[in-house]
Amino acid sequence: MEMINRQEGQYARSLIEASRDPLVTISTEGKITDMNEALASITGMTRLQLTGTDFFDYFTEPQKAREVYQEVFAKGSVADSPLTLRHCNGKLTDVLFNGSVYKDDKGNVRGVVIVARDVTAQKLISKYSLSLIEASLDPLVTISPEGKITDMNQATVNITGITREKLTGTDFFDYFTEPQKAREVYQEVFAKGSVADSPLTLRHKEGKLTDVRFNGSVYRDDDGNVLGVVIVARDVTEQKKIATELLEAKVFAELATEIAEEAKSKAENATRIAEDAVKAKQQFLSNMSHEIRTPMNAIIGFTKVVLKTELSPKQQEYLSAIKISGDALIVLINDILDLAKVDSGKMSFMQAPFKMSLSISAMLHLFETKIQEKNLELITKYDQRIPDVLVGDPVRLHQIILNLVSNAVKFTNRGTITVSVNLIEEDEETATVEFAVKDTGIGIAENKLEKIFENFQQASSGTSRLYGGTGLGLAIVKQLVEPQGGSIHVESKMDEGTTFSFKLKFLKTKAHADIDEVGVELDEEVKSINVLVVEDIALNQLLMKTLLDDFGFGCELAENGKIAIDKLATGDYDVILMDLQMPEMNGFEATEYIRNTLKLQIPIIALTADVTTVDLAKCKAVGMNDYIAKPVDERLLYSKIIATIKKTAFAKGPKETVINVVKKERCINLKYLQDRTKSNPVLMLEMISLYLKQTPPLITEMKRSFLKKDWESMHSVVHKMIPSFSIVGIDKNFENMAKEIQAYVGAQQKANEISNLVAQLDQVCTQACLELEEESLLIKNNYA
Amino acid sequence: MEKKKKLFLVDDDAVFLKLLELEFLQLNEYVVETYPTGEACLVNLEHLPDVIILDYHLNGIHADAMNGMQTLDKIKGINSLIPVVMLSSQDQIEVAVDCMHHQAFDYVVKSETAFMRLQKILLAIFKYQKMEEQLNWYMERM
Repeated sequence: MEMINRQEGQYARSLIEASRDPLVTISTEGKITDMNEALASITGMTRLQLTGTDFFDYFTEPQKAREVYQEVFAKGSVADSPLTLRHCNGKLTDVLFNGSVYKDDKGNVRGVVIVARDVTAQKLISKYSLSLIEASLDPLVTISPEGKITDMNQATVNITGITREKLTGTDFFDYFTEPQKAREVYQEVFAKGSVADSPLTLRHKEGKLTDVRFNGSVYRDDDGNVLGVVIVARDVTEQKKIATELLEAKVFAELATEIAEEAKSKAENATRIAEDAVKAKQQFLSNMSHEIRTPMNAIIGFTKVVLKTELSPKQQEYLSAIKISGDALIVLINDILDLAKVDSGKMSFMQAPFKMSLSISAMLHLFETKIQEKNLELITKYDQRIPDVLVGDPVRLHQIILNLVSNAVKFTNRGTITVSVNLIEEDEETATVEFAVKDTGIGIAENKLEKIFENFQQASSGTSRLYGGTGLGLAIVKQLVEPQGGSIHVESKMDEGTTFSFKLKFLKTKAHADIDEVGVELDEEVKSINVLVVEDIALNQLLMKTLLDDFGFGCELAENGKIAIDKLATGDYDVILMDLQMPEMNGFEATEYIRNTLKLQIPIIALTADVTTVDLAKCKAVGMNDYIAKPVDERLLYSKIIATIKKTAFAKGPKETVINVVKKERCINLKYLQDRTKSNPVLMLEMISLYLKQTPPLITEMKRSFLKKDWESMHSVVHKMIPSFSIVGIDKNFENMAKEIQAYVGAQQKANEISNLVAQLDQVCTQACLELEEESLLIKNNYA
Repeated sequence: MEKKKKLFLVDDDAVFLKLLELEFLQLNEYVVETYPTGEACLVNLEHLPDVIILDYHLNGIHADAMNGMQTLDKIKGINSLIPVVMLSSQDQIEVAVDCMHHQAFDYVVKSETAFMRLQKILLAIFKYQKMEEQLNWYMERM
């Protein structure tokens, strides 16, 4: 039994010894009676030293230890009282103090058994989490259910600027700018158990505000009772700052975009302005050139006229100088106008049948004098396989070859100029022709070859000084060739010569070309020609008159189309020279009227300032026979007049009688009625028949009352007649006559004059009636 | 669509009358009735024309016919509200003043521009009438 007891005692003893927690028994006096090894190692004392000493001396807070100890005696036990044991060398050990009294068999308290649990490790862990909490930059706070702060971390202190001591136990919500809102959030935590990211603002005691996101959750004890709330208020100042910065950056970016767009639109505006400026410049150049050309034509024309008079050699020389300068200026102006037209897209190309060989040889004729003067030789090679008649624009072709040949002549001092025209390709519908102009002149440097087709470019800047010219010629040539689907090439060697060549495609046709206008021989038989010149500019009128007088032709002047038409009614002319641009009624309108209303076949030659516009086609369309460009070349003028008259006379020969009938002066003009009725034949007939019905009785009555000297009746009859004159287009003079009669009758005087006027009115009205009957027949026939 | 206005054209010059009629008809804005005499015009006044265009010389052919002035007076006697525009081949101040004294709305000389003037005058008449109508409407409610 003893044995077993001993054995059991030993076993318990070894268990006690094996425990790592200090175990100690203390007497009622507080002296250590026994202990295990753990206590020895924690205090650093031997068992012997420990036994009998005051247990409380080994704690850092002996008084507290003593109180705990007394509590054990009072209550019989104590649990988890935190205390700290001190090692003899100073090392501290946090322990949880658990104790209970032990009694003898009789129930007398013998002492206290104390287990001091070493919680250093535990404490370390909690310290670690605490330090984590402390290290957090976000304020962490625990709040009691009453809303009082129970604990907090350093961040909270920093943000509020209030010490821990002062914070503890205060109302948490006081530190927010909106306490009510904070309280609501806090209540929400209790209600829902947690809350996330509620935005609130913490106030520093010095007034600094911190925007936070408020996250909270309740914490409970082991039994699930809510002890309070843990709150993490995340400092979003930085985030907010970043957000603000982001926003600012965005605004800046938007602003920058706006500025960029503004700059873009400005640039576009500037471009537009620049383009407009270029256009305006071209327009100005074009207008100016046009304005200059008119007086220049007069200057050159009159110089030519004066040159033909008797002059001293000096005068001759000076006038020649004027003429040469004038010619040069006209060429320049025409060049500028041509280019302006090309640039503005106004250049148009005619499609007319023409004889290529004739066209070329006639054009080359123009250079004969010049070539002879320079002692050069002109060789023409014309491919006979080229179809006789081709469809194209002979005027432009002239212009191109003219430019190239005049260049060749200008830059060649000795040798030959070869113009060759070769058929390159031919199919059923088209023929491609290559034109080449070869000279033995000064040549063009290779590096300049590319530039020579640009505006105002000559191969070398010295060229214009030596040879003159504007540098526009080749630019024009290029602009004339390429729109027609052609291409131009140049080959050149310095001091050996240059070859320009271009290819153009022409349509073939079976139609006959118009008889060529150039080169009709002067015909001595054709004299006493009467010309009507329709031209508004006085200088040009005088010039034409001088030229025509020179030819021995008769000349009448009309300032515009209207006057011309009036003159045609009375005069007899063989040909009309018609300017195109005139006030009142321009050349086109006048021609149209002459052809369609007067039905006259009289030849009309257009006088045009620029042949490059669409005007030529329009001239033909309205019925003009030919055109001549200003400044008028007198030989060309002469030959054109003769040729046109001959052609017309030949073509219209058999119709001579018809023309005579038409030419007879008509006293009526149905234009007014046509205008009013919009040429409605029914209405026209109605009007005419009314007139025919009303007028004869009026005439009879007028004559009758005149004979009877019934002035009153006479007055009212004549009065009645007055409106009808203008309706059927009887000359205004007759209406005035009627008014005169009225006036005379009113005053009852000048019976002689009245008699004369009555006779005239009688005549014109009778004639008008006859003509109107013809007209109404004509209308009926046409209408039927 | 507004009802077309009715015009009376009164002239013994058949040619001019016809021409005027044609021109007005072409506008396609008027109903036109033409009468060669003042008498015929008066008889048909019950057709209620909106405007009458009346020749000053209505007795050019028949000396005993009623002249323009007499016709004008008669029209005004029957219905003074009908605007009458006088036409004359004479451009004389006496005639013009005379017409005005007899309550003609306007006076137009027969010429190439007569039709255009008439057109203008008609538009003026209608505009004036409309204004007066509106004015009356407002006055009644004042």
